Amino acid sequence: MSEEASMEQNSAGEKSGMKRRLFVRTTLGAAGLAYAGALGYPVYRYLAAPVEQAEREAAVTEAVLKDAQKLPPGTALMFRFGARPAMLIHHRDGAWTAFDAVCTHLGCTVRFEPERRRIHCACHGGVYDPKTGANLAGPPPRPLRAYRVKVVEEAVVVSRV
Amino acid sequence: MKQARHSLYKWLDERLDLTEILAFARKKTVPVHRRSFWYYWGGLSLFFFLVQALTGTLLLIYYRPGPEAYESVRQITYEIDFGWLIRSIHSWAANLMIFAVMTHMFSVFFMKAYRKPRELGWWSGLGLLGLALFFGFSGYLLPMDELSYFATKVGLEIPALIPWVGPKAAALLRGGVDVSAVTTQRFFALHAAVLPALFVPLLAFHLWLVQKHGNAVPPSEELKPPEQRRSIPFFPDFALKDLAMWLIALNLLVLLAAMFPQGLGQPADPLAPAPQGIHPEWYFMSSFQTLKMFGKWFPGTAGEALGLIVFNLGLAIWALIPLYDNKRAWGLRARIASYIGLAALALLVLTTVWGYLALD
Amino acid sequence: MNYPAWDVAHIGSGWVIGIIAIFHVLISHFAVGGGLYLPIAERKALKEGRREWLNLLRKHSRFFLILTGVFGAVSGVGIWFAIGLANPEATSALIHNFVFAWAAEWVFFLVELSCAAVYYYTWDRVSPRFHLAVGWLYAAASLATLIIINGILTFMLTPGEAWLSAAGTGREASQFWPAFFNPVYWPSLFLRILVCLNLAGVWALASYSKIAKASDGLRAETLRWSARWIAPGFLLLPVFLAWFLWSLPEPRRALLELGVHTIGPGAFTQATRAALVVLVASAGVAGLVYLFAWKSPRDFGFSHAAAVLALAAAATGAGEYTRELLRKPYVVVRYMYSNGVRVQDAARFNREGFLTRSLWAAGAASLEKRGEAMFRGQCMACHTRKGYRSMRRLLAGRNEESIGNLLRTLHERKEDSPYRAFMPPLVGTEEEIAALKTYLAKLAAPSGGEEKPAVVKQIASQ
Repeated sequence: MSEEASMEQNSAGEKSGMKRRLFVRTTLGAAGLAYAGALGYPVYRYLAAPVEQAEREAAVTEAVLKDAQKLPPGTALMFRFGARPAMLIHHRDGAWTAFDAVCTHLGCTVRFEPERRRIHCACHGGVYDPKTGANLAGPPPRPLRAYRVKVVEEAVVVSRV
Repeated sequence: MKQARHSLYKWLDERLDLTEILAFARKKTVPVHRRSFWYYWGGLSLFFFLVQALTGTLLLIYYRPGPEAYESVRQITYEIDFGWLIRSIHSWAANLMIFAVMTHMFSVFFMKAYRKPRELGWWSGLGLLGLALFFGFSGYLLPMDELSYFATKVGLEIPALIPWVGPKAAALLRGGVDVSAVTTQRFFALHAAVLPALFVPLLAFHLWLVQKHGNAVPPSEELKPPEQRRSIPFFPDFALKDLAMWLIALNLLVLLAAMFPQGLGQPADPLAPAPQGIHPEWYFMSSFQTLKMFGKWFPGTAGEALGLIVFNLGLAIWALIPLYDNKRAWGLRARIASYIGLAALALLVLTTVWGYLALD
Repeated sequence: MNYPAWDVAHIGSGWVIGIIAIFHVLISHFAVGGGLYLPIAERKALKEGRREWLNLLRKHSRFFLILTGVFGAVSGVGIWFAIGLANPEATSALIHNFVFAWAAEWVFFLVELSCAAVYYYTWDRVSPRFHLAVGWLYAAASLATLIIINGILTFMLTPGEAWLSAAGTGREASQFWPAFFNPVYWPSLFLRILVCLNLAGVWALASYSKIAKASDGLRAETLRWSARWIAPGFLLLPVFLAWFLWSLPEPRRALLELGVHTIGPGAFTQATRAALVVLVASAGVAGLVYLFAWKSPRDFGFSHAAAVLALAAAATGAGEYTRELLRKPYVVVRYMYSNGVRVQDAARFNREGFLTRSLWAAGAASLEKRGEAMFRGQCMACHTRKGYRSMRRLLAGRNEESIGNLLRTLHERKEDSPYRAFMPPLVGTEEEIAALKTYLAKLAAPSGGEEKPAVVKQIASQ
């Protein structure tokens, strides 16, 4: 083999060798990234946990309360709407209302008092109207958030307005 | 792409003198001999510290010191996605870090790597170990469950033994007459701000000394003629091996955290009786047992105070060894120092085992 | 339930299978991968006329023969003994469906063993061509055993609709092929082949670190050549793993999520944790081989090989453990529950009683004895009294009434029961369940055992 020819072959071999190296490097890099991603995934989930929770809660637009239509008039039922406490009230006149049960003042859970026809917050004595949720007395700055109530055959459906 | 990488390197090199650093790393060598294995323990300690810094920062995101301490750790362990993993790795890496630092210390001792010019390396290393133990002690309380509450309560009795200043210092650490939510608040400040602020500069100093003086070789190797000694470049040879050890350490860490995750006990209740077999973490077991035995042999607070004195005397000898064993040659002092090391190791192991056996 | 339960203290009968099986997988997959490794290496050495490399291979084939022919074969038989004792109902069901497959596997296994022996003992005694041919025959036979056993293992995880519709009709055998080539057959086969190649490399590293002379240039060369065997696994494992997970039915995959947010005892969090170990340890194996064997083959010693091997064992063990956990609450998904109760029998057991159908429990007359018989028949497939998934720990702090409530939850197995995802229904009559309640209450009572009540450290390892 002449010297020239062998040199040519060498450079051709070098070229394909370089291509091969590049290919090997790229695939190795890609696989490495895949593993690094797998290791980083728990950290991502750790940081994102509250976001996911908040999204899940915000996604709740409706709560189906089975057998709640049997609730006797003049009483209230506490339930969870997403992650928040809520109350369903069956009034003596047969009307239904539902409210977010977190006092708008400092976040205590409120209570329905049928005999005094009011919703009362024991923490600082806030008072709300059980029909509308309006803040009537005490420190609460805003009315309670009201939900839409629908009584169906075997349940009461409470949904966001 | 190669072009882009090259120009990026050039840009950085012009500003940071990377070539110089790289040349230094290449020129620097690490000796190779029968006991080379022990060279990895310093690097391993560093790895575990880095893991601690990372996972500790992640835990900061959800941990709330004070009255909600227990509740926040409960959330991390049982509610937040992979919170259990981060917390378990933090707890396991703490234990492995103390173990690695102790192994590093004893290997340095037996290789006589504390001799001139490395005395400052020895002392800064001891300082780092002391800080690491403080990290462990302060971190242990933070979940504020039954076990950590009582362990801290008992642990704080030790500084309280020191005459005059002791009780005052313990009360200051507690922030009251008893361990409480206030204590978690100040232990948290210690753990996440004060100790890191002390640890990081000391660590930097320690690492700088290692770079400056290079690895020490054991006396048996020192006696060999230079042509018989082998060494490898620090970069890339030793660095790659160091990396491999870190990889093993990472795997061990994940394995332990996944198989034995750190649980959470009942919330601390000062009125509840201490759970049976209450004991400190394993790295305090030796001193715990020593004090306990002195208290038994010499009843009254005098016994425990005596134990404390003996213990501190030993610590002082341990720290001052570079000043005593300071000759290159393998003489009487060198031998005595080696015996001291063996005795210290034996004492540490025996009292630790004894401590665990004495629990039941 | 025709068979009594095998009572293994502390670890439970499941882990007897587990320990033997993990050991076996570590060797048997080497038998397959190493079966390819030997003729490929031999062919290369012959082609390049490398006498000294052939000598090294001969030594390696000795190690290979001893490890696979003795330890691999013995542990394989050990699995048979263990599964027959630990879960006779499931073993019986598998034999009824796959007797032909197992017979075929046995034949290939015999061919494999014979070839391995012939291969080792005929080095330099027959023509290189013939010797190489024996090597290839070995490789083919051992691969065939994997191809067969993979069908049976994956069947348990995803039997497939076709077989399930025939299950219990007595015509199951008509669905042999759909059951064999079930939904996860292919991804699982490719995953296993990758593991085989990995283990061929890992074990070769271990073998060479001992048999090749340190001064030899050959040593470094062969170590690096063996290290290459890790590359396919490293590159393709993420792909096939994703394919495998994607082929799984949703309830199986959901089991992997249970341990993401908690380590609460009794919440079945092990699958997540084991899967995590699989990922980290397989990346670890590749990383270590790269750093140790590829980057500095000259310094590679047995301790390095041992570290790699330990990680490979962790990855393999965790992988098999995860696969087993993904079947919960079944042993054959949707056909037979983990405790050997067939899905179709559950209603009858509730009506007619579980113990009335268990001849071995006929002697249990007293309430507590009947409760213990229930425990042995339905709980002990997965739980032990005081060891692995200990009842004492899981029921700690519950009184008889609350244990009764828990048992009712397990018995009713409503749609929203958290236990539905991973625990079989508790079957039996009211009276039998009450007997179990009495037995468990006594077991869970703080004085019910000789253990000290001191809980030094609560570690949620289940």
